[in-house]
Amino acid sequence: MKRRFLVLAAILLFPIAAAAQVVEQPQVVTLDQVTSGMMLLKTNVPGVFVPAPAVATDVKIQVRGLILRGEVTQRFRNPQATCAEAVYAFPLPEDAAVDRLRMTIGQRVIEGEIQERKQAEQTYEQAKSEGKKASLLSQERPNLFTVSIANIGSGEEVVVSIDYQQNIDYRDSVFRLRFPMTIGPRYIPGVEKPVVPVGVGWSVDTDQVPDASRVTPPVNRPGSGRENQLRLTVDLDAGFSLKRVDSTYHKVDTTIVSGSHYRVALHGGDIPADRDFELVWQPDLGNEPKSALFTESIPSAKSGPGESYALVMLMPPAVKTGVRLPKESIFIVDTSGSMMGTSINEAKAALQLALDRLSPQDRFNVIEFNSVTNVLFNQARPASADNVAAAKKWVSALQATGGTEMMGALQAGLVNQAASEDLVRQVIFMTDGQVGNENELFAFIRSNLKTSRLFTVGIGAAPNSNFLRNAARFGRGTFTYIGDVNEVQAKMTTLFEKLESPVLTNVELRFDDPTAEVWPQRLPDLYGGEPVIVAARLTKPNGRIILSGAVGKEEWHDVHTMSADSALHGEGSGIGRLWARRKIEALNDSVEATAENSDVKQKIIALALEHHLVTPFTSLVAVDVTPSGVPLEKCETRAVPVNLPAGWGGFEGSLPKTATPAPLLLLCGGLLIGLAAMLAIRS
Amino acid sequence: MRVRFLMIGLLSLGGAGLFGNGVYIYAKARLAQFLLQRAWTKTLRGEKDVKPWKWADTWPVAKIEFPEQHQRFIVLSGASGRTMAFGPGHVDGTADPDETGNCVISAHRDTQFAVLQQVQLGDEIVMQTRHGKTIHYRVRAMRVVRSRDVSILANSNGRRLTLITCYPFDAIRPGGDLRYAVMAAPAPIRPDLRSQVSDLSHTLSHQAGLGGG
Repeated sequence: MKRRFLVLAAILLFPIAAAAQVVEQPQVVTLDQVTSGMMLLKTNVPGVFVPAPAVATDVKIQVRGLILRGEVTQRFRNPQATCAEAVYAFPLPEDAAVDRLRMTIGQRVIEGEIQERKQAEQTYEQAKSEGKKASLLSQERPNLFTVSIANIGSGEEVVVSIDYQQNIDYRDSVFRLRFPMTIGPRYIPGVEKPVVPVGVGWSVDTDQVPDASRVTPPVNRPGSGRENQLRLTVDLDAGFSLKRVDSTYHKVDTTIVSGSHYRVALHGGDIPADRDFELVWQPDLGNEPKSALFTESIPSAKSGPGESYALVMLMPPAVKTGVRLPKESIFIVDTSGSMMGTSINEAKAALQLALDRLSPQDRFNVIEFNSVTNVLFNQARPASADNVAAAKKWVSALQATGGTEMMGALQAGLVNQAASEDLVRQVIFMTDGQVGNENELFAFIRSNLKTSRLFTVGIGAAPNSNFLRNAARFGRGTFTYIGDVNEVQAKMTTLFEKLESPVLTNVELRFDDPTAEVWPQRLPDLYGGEPVIVAARLTKPNGRIILSGAVGKEEWHDVHTMSADSALHGEGSGIGRLWARRKIEALNDSVEATAENSDVKQKIIALALEHHLVTPFTSLVAVDVTPSGVPLEKCETRAVPVNLPAGWGGFEGSLPKTATPAPLLLLCGGLLIGLAAMLAIRS
Repeated sequence: MRVRFLMIGLLSLGGAGLFGNGVYIYAKARLAQFLLQRAWTKTLRGEKDVKPWKWADTWPVAKIEFPEQHQRFIVLSGASGRTMAFGPGHVDGTADPDETGNCVISAHRDTQFAVLQQVQLGDEIVMQTRHGKTIHYRVRAMRVVRSRDVSILANSNGRRLTLITCYPFDAIRPGGDLRYAVMAAPAPIRPDLRSQVSDLSHTLSHQAGLGGG
């Protein structure tokens, strides 16, 4: 008995075993075993079913010009015999302003309230202990949110709707909408913290990622029959006639409502949510907008002048490409375990293309990293035919394995290498960004960038766009996504054209209106084909805007009149929220934001409460007034698994086959010889 | 009569062929470990990815020792069938023997990892990494899992060692759906094993020319 207890204790205390318990075994049932109402899915085996997936998602996106409004509806159903609390981590676009939460129980709709995060958690816990249904929406990372739903009775369904606002990305004459569908398992560096984990994920909390257990939801194994399903529709009114509307990775059905108004739906309704959705649309040739203006006027409560918000997009005139400047290119490639599968092949193809594109007066180096960092050359070398050939050979032998210790690679790329004078130094970083310590890495990039520029290339079906976008922002470069091997050529060529074209620096945008508050305040350098997009709070929504900058030593400026001359313009709601979201992002960048009760934190909270936004410090909470009649026994907390991104090698498939046919061979061989012997004896 | 002789001849030929094939599998698994020892010594001297023979597509990454069972094996990179014909394979994508995380090694149940049958809770497993570092593990759990249950490959924050082989050990037919997993975590040396372990680390450090643990 004592020994059995020891075994049990060992299994329970062993973190691997604990993780394995969270990743549930698919419970299979036959129809005879069903005792209560339960939605079932067929499996490969006739007559055997699995309980319905815990969450089904419905995404409705509306696009008007540059403004996007999204509604994500999640349906939680508890197939268990006991009451449950569901905890679901899910992704949203990294620049989304999340402003609304609604919980629907039967016919009743409960509107969520914005509260300071700690207070919201208390409100939720209070409701939970009183047996009331409640839901809580918190931001864990700019692109990663968790929703908790308390007291879902056996067989009950609770629907949670989350709304967000975003502006459309416009670059290289293409408008682009991205919706992330799942969260890839992230690498959690650091040393285990000896405390009770704050969340229910597969990782323990570490010194480098103190909330690791909140950002590592368990995963559904492909083929387990429990993949989360998602349906998505886009109502697109671009505002001008289009040459094309395409979904990059999914099959869609597109119908034209009228003129520039399209309706796009994922083909086949529900699909497994295992790779990012991307919709691109391109204006007719020569019709590309050079500017856009969207405004919102909020009348003041106290009969004052009220407030106006504006979202402004300005395209600087194309600069003529001069002489190609020699440059130093440092390529960093992620060869960690999460890149295993199709991702590493995409990265290698992109890297080979990059090496081919070097010219002999350039200098270059290649760095690979997983748990350790390896550099091709000790110092960047000239891109001679020999050096490039050596690099290509080195790259083709790269394999994905091990952890994602990104800091070492950034150190090697940004610090350890002496930049050659008078060369433009560009660091091209290819990764899926699946790490949990983003903030630490951003801080490092900010303080060590110096004259280098960092360009991120996001690889794979569901990369961590929060890391990719912001690393490029702090690195004063750009980001590119490659979600498919077929895209490598086109996307890398566009990136190289940017890298080779002159850069617009010292970009400034000024309004006539002296009271205008513009975010972001410091504008990024602009590479070919990129517009300036800012949000401003104004007192008069018309007047002039002056855009200025420099190309090399040449200064340049451009005057626009707000209103009529924009090809794309309109009144919209939620511009104020976009402005607040950008201001919060900028405030959050400042180092002090993490400190408890800092000035910056208070500013963020005030802004978020005013504009009803979810931030690291504010959450939305919805509480049902009537207790749900669920007995107050302790509810089981269940982490809802997310899907594994498509093409992942690391977690897929099965364990190695570990039996040889030797025993079988020996047995059969022995039998035959025995038979022969018997025949010989009898003769 | 002639037919009978022909049958005896064919049966014994076929039987010898199958039997021989079976013996060959075991012989290969045994002999390979001798060849691997040479490659391992070179690896410890600092050479990278030493192929044990010219056409090999794998190389030694660690050495594991079961002191209680008096067994030791050189672990190869990758856990493909081709690799495991020669020795235990380190499963790609799991933590490297040298790094912190869950390091997973698998081998055939009827060759090297037949030893797992005798491994008990609390037993010592000693791993030597290619940089000559020696890590002492203690068996913390044993489980039978389905082959689709890849959760035991999941990474961990602390150092873990997971050994996988087929289950049950005495099945005749290959290709079963069950796996036997032994999970170990670093542990202080048990006093009653100290003498054996110090013997071992002496041997290891002697081979490596490095200070062992």
